[in-house]
Amino acid sequence: MQLHRDRDRFEAAGVRLVLIGQGTPAQARHFAETLNVDLPIFVDARREAYRAAGTKVGTVGELLGPRSVLRGVQRAVTDRVYPGRTVGHPAQLGGVLVVRPDDSIAYAHLADDASDNPPNDEVLAAARAAAQR
Amino acid sequence: MSLLGTARRRQSTHAPADARELGAAVVRDLDDREVRLRELWRDRPAVLVFLRHYG
Repeated sequence: MQLHRDRDRFEAAGVRLVLIGQGTPAQARHFAETLNVDLPIFVDARREAYRAAGTKVGTVGELLGPRSVLRGVQRAVTDRVYPGRTVGHPAQLGGVLVVRPDDSIAYAHLADDASDNPPNDEVLAAARAAAQR
Repeated sequence: MSLLGTARRRQSTHAPADARELGAAVVRDLDDREVRLRELWRDRPAVLVFLRHYG
């Protein structure tokens, strides 16, 4: 999770950056306060939005594969974010969508495994393009 | 279901052709109020980051 550091850049681009998580509002609030995340968070307890967004549920290999473990270690070192107790469906994978007011999808990157996150600059470029149209 | 609810077979992601179904989904904000997702991009584009899980 690095996007919250770029919040101002997304705001300047004229787009709204929001997080969608699982669990309950109280769990999401705890997450936000613990990691000092200053972004709007919405919870999707039934994972209705996750399904509509086209995200997938990972296999054991996709969650625990060497690629994921290595990147997880790397992130823990660089970001000082340590895997904690899991809240939500443990195998649910995430993703990023950029949606325009006319309901068109400007950009989609849906995670193929647990370590598959798009570069922030790629998302920002898509967001800027979406706001200019 | 299998171990921790993991998928038995490798799944594919399916980016939607448009956000109409997604926009109809109802989520909750941190104050436990219901929000229809479409409200988030009604006036300007929105970047939706779906988290894997907390922690």
